[in-house]
Amino acid sequence: MDNIFRIDEKLYRAVYPPEVMDMFWKRDGSVSSAAFADRNGLSVDRGDYRPESEVIEYMSERFTGHIVSLYVKNCNDVGAVVKYSPSKSNVYHSEIHGSATNKLLSKTQRRHLAIKAKIVC
Amino acid sequence: MIIAKQMDIRSNIKDFFDKAYEGEDIVVPRKQGKNVVIISEDKYKSLNQNKHIEAYAGAIAKQYKESSSVVPMTDVKSDNLKKLKNIAELRENWNGNGAKPFSGSLIKKVRSLLEALPIQPEVFPTALQTIQLEFDNARHDHMEIEIDESDEADIFIVTYFGEETEETIHGDIKTISERVMKFYG
Repeated sequence: MDNIFRIDEKLYRAVYPPEVMDMFWKRDGSVSSAAFADRNGLSVDRGDYRPESEVIEYMSERFTGHIVSLYVKNCNDVGAVVKYSPSKSNVYHSEIHGSATNKLLSKTQRRHLAIKAKIVC
Repeated sequence: MIIAKQMDIRSNIKDFFDKAYEGEDIVVPRKQGKNVVIISEDKYKSLNQNKHIEAYAGAIAKQYKESSSVVPMTDVKSDNLKKLKNIAELRENWNGNGAKPFSGSLIKKVRSLLEALPIQPEVFPTALQTIQLEFDNARHDHMEIEIDESDEADIFIVTYFGEETEETIHGDIKTISERVMKFYG
């Protein structure tokens, strides 16, 4: 894996906190844009074209809670930047930044990603 | 307004569609009064929007008329206050990425606001140590009000047509309540 993301690659976001699992869920069943606000960059796991069941299993080893998915295209459409940022414990770890120089997503970007996010589990 | 026969419309349909697109109302008289009007999509959406506004304004006015000066504790409000309590209990690193807990003063401020608001939002924490209130009206517009410990609040509105506005307003209960009513009115 490298820092190149194709538009059809999926990104998976764990929605915390696990102890209050519906914290970011709206009454209509969608996820709130508030779940996409993070000054440290939005942590995601890149899909790397793995089967979804494999992604869920891998993520579930590290946390309990909901997972939503997005396409890289959804980020590109609003100028958000996806960066590959593997860690020792997670080779798939990546981050979505608002721009090349600002990690925080703008309100427009957050809203767009919230609308596009699909609930995986 | 242009009145045109069905036959003329048929033979010059593009010209009439262009006129409708430019804002003209094309009335086509038909037998037994089964007339039709051709209008642009923009005008159609505008008419629908006005219909929603009138219906919603009527409902809000009725709600005000029927309520006393004290806003009743609705189920939604009760749920929101419970959720705020959950938010208040979030601990250091609650999002797994270093998010900090929420201050007592912010929780108190949002609680006062929820108790006063005539229309209840949906309430969400953010990892920015702010609390986001979300409103969706009958016109399918969306409004987010982000509250922090300062005297100000950030408002973000996206209309059904995708037009966005962002502004900072005073964060007091009266100003925010007025903005909420304006959004629904």
